[in-house]
Amino acid sequence: MSMRMSTPLPHGGRLVERVVTDPVLAKKLAKGCPVYDIKPTVNEKGVPVRNVYREIMSICYGFFSPVEGPMGSAELERVLKERRLLNDWIFPFPLLFDLSQEDYKKLGVGPGDRLLLRLKGKPFAILDISEVFVVDDREAMAHRIFGTPEANPEVVKEPFDKKHPGWVIYKCHNPVMLAGKYTIINPPTFKPPFDRFWLPLRQSRAEYAKRGWRTVINHQTRNVPHVGHEFLMKNAAYTGDIEPCNGIQVNAIIGVKRRGDYPDEAILEGHEAVNKGGYIKPERHIVTFTLWDMRYGNPLESMLHGIVRQNMGCTHHMFGRDHAAVGEYYDMYATQILWDKGIPSFGFPKSVCEVPYGLQIRPQNMAEFWYCPKCNEIAYSGSCGHSKEKQKFSGSFIRGMVAEGIYPPGVIFRPEVYEIVVKWWKKFNYPFCNETYVKRVEEELEINLPDLDV
Amino acid sequence: MSKKFAVLLDDKRFGAVKGSGLEDKIDYLFGGALKAFIMDISEDEAKKIMNSFDTARVDSRGFITDTPIAFNRVLFEEIAKAKSLGDEVIGAVLGREKEIKEMAAKESDYLPAPEL
Repeated sequence: MSMRMSTPLPHGGRLVERVVTDPVLAKKLAKGCPVYDIKPTVNEKGVPVRNVYREIMSICYGFFSPVEGPMGSAELERVLKERRLLNDWIFPFPLLFDLSQEDYKKLGVGPGDRLLLRLKGKPFAILDISEVFVVDDREAMAHRIFGTPEANPEVVKEPFDKKHPGWVIYKCHNPVMLAGKYTIINPPTFKPPFDRFWLPLRQSRAEYAKRGWRTVINHQTRNVPHVGHEFLMKNAAYTGDIEPCNGIQVNAIIGVKRRGDYPDEAILEGHEAVNKGGYIKPERHIVTFTLWDMRYGNPLESMLHGIVRQNMGCTHHMFGRDHAAVGEYYDMYATQILWDKGIPSFGFPKSVCEVPYGLQIRPQNMAEFWYCPKCNEIAYSGSCGHSKEKQKFSGSFIRGMVAEGIYPPGVIFRPEVYEIVVKWWKKFNYPFCNETYVKRVEEELEINLPDLDV
Repeated sequence: MSKKFAVLLDDKRFGAVKGSGLEDKIDYLFGGALKAFIMDISEDEAKKIMNSFDTARVDSRGFITDTPIAFNRVLFEEIAKAKSLGDEVIGAVLGREKEIKEMAAKESDYLPAPEL
């Protein structure tokens, strides 16, 4: 057995790429198709909670390989029951293309038809429809997706409700589902600052190779990094094969987030500031993103993160406590349980790395970092014996400090990172996501689409 | 179970409590990089805060966080006024609930960015 690791294969064995770059072919594919203008999913107050365009991008650029399009009824049922696709590969969440009854009737499409999807009034993608089905009770679907204390007692602590943003996304889906395959026919360009961080899979794997990175550990983020995050990254990266991981990838989730999270622009540039400031040198650190409206599904979200980052070419993934979590719906170690011994009620009697058609990326389950006044350093909770004296990096505590306009000390936020927070605060008149920011993002999106006359 | 609340002290706030006798109660956090009053909040008062302000939550340290900024500001004002960190301060803050909520409503859409 080689002691050296190598870049893992994509989940499902091959990278999905469904992007047409030739406008002549694009026009040919879209000619004469019925047209549907993509609409956001909105909550009961009319606030956007999801835009399916992000899923179409992540599918067609291969982040969600081997998925090639919105799921059909049998696949939806299998994902809900066993967290597996029909081809047996594990997958945590349903990916659906939903329409209102009214829109569906207007379109008059069915299996075998091709639908042209427009975004911001311009051609964007096509959907080759293989099935149309109806989900009457989306609330029941949302419960099955995230689990219940009765059905998933190992990790679900509280019933999900309208305070959970991911549950709301599925509850607010429209009833009519179109299944099939997406193809992007008019590749968008990203606006600044997103353009600097867009690294779809083939480029991502090529970039690692160019940098000579055999092993790469991923850091999942929806946060501007405080120093505790920085220490998590640096220390988790000591794992590897015969040496620490060659590269550290930060992959931010870009899309609608909950109130109180930081704006996407600040998250990306904040992480970039860590390497620009030399706290982790740029030769070892790269910042990228995936488009996805976060479901905050803790263990399930971690499985999706594992799939995306394995597809990007990462060998390792760090997981902390309360991974991609909100509230106390899940056990705070639910993600680490999934990657360590599995969660049988979700279909995994063993780690998701040890089941058939599972993942190759290796988990690095980490405890937490705190400031220890006795050690006089930022310490790892697994090593530091002064738990009574510890001073924790609480995200909400730091958010409170930021909101009060108190300049955070360098031991909490690097000054370069805080400057980024303030830069975007000035732009949006608010340091965090709020309703105004979410509506603005929905109006503008992260992309521009070129003209394409079909 | 009782909870805690951290009232952060920047230079301006530190100046306002100088000579009040509260200096001895300052906690120096993160190697002295941050100054704060760490208040003990009784179970009853904690419940009242959580019931009055729906964003408030208890974090993994057992601290009440995510209260409106206006709440934090008024809390400091009442501490400076009473020269105390006792329960009566929380009572005085909760007595200004309506005023805090009005200020908080404005703060949900706009917060002035600091000049660096």
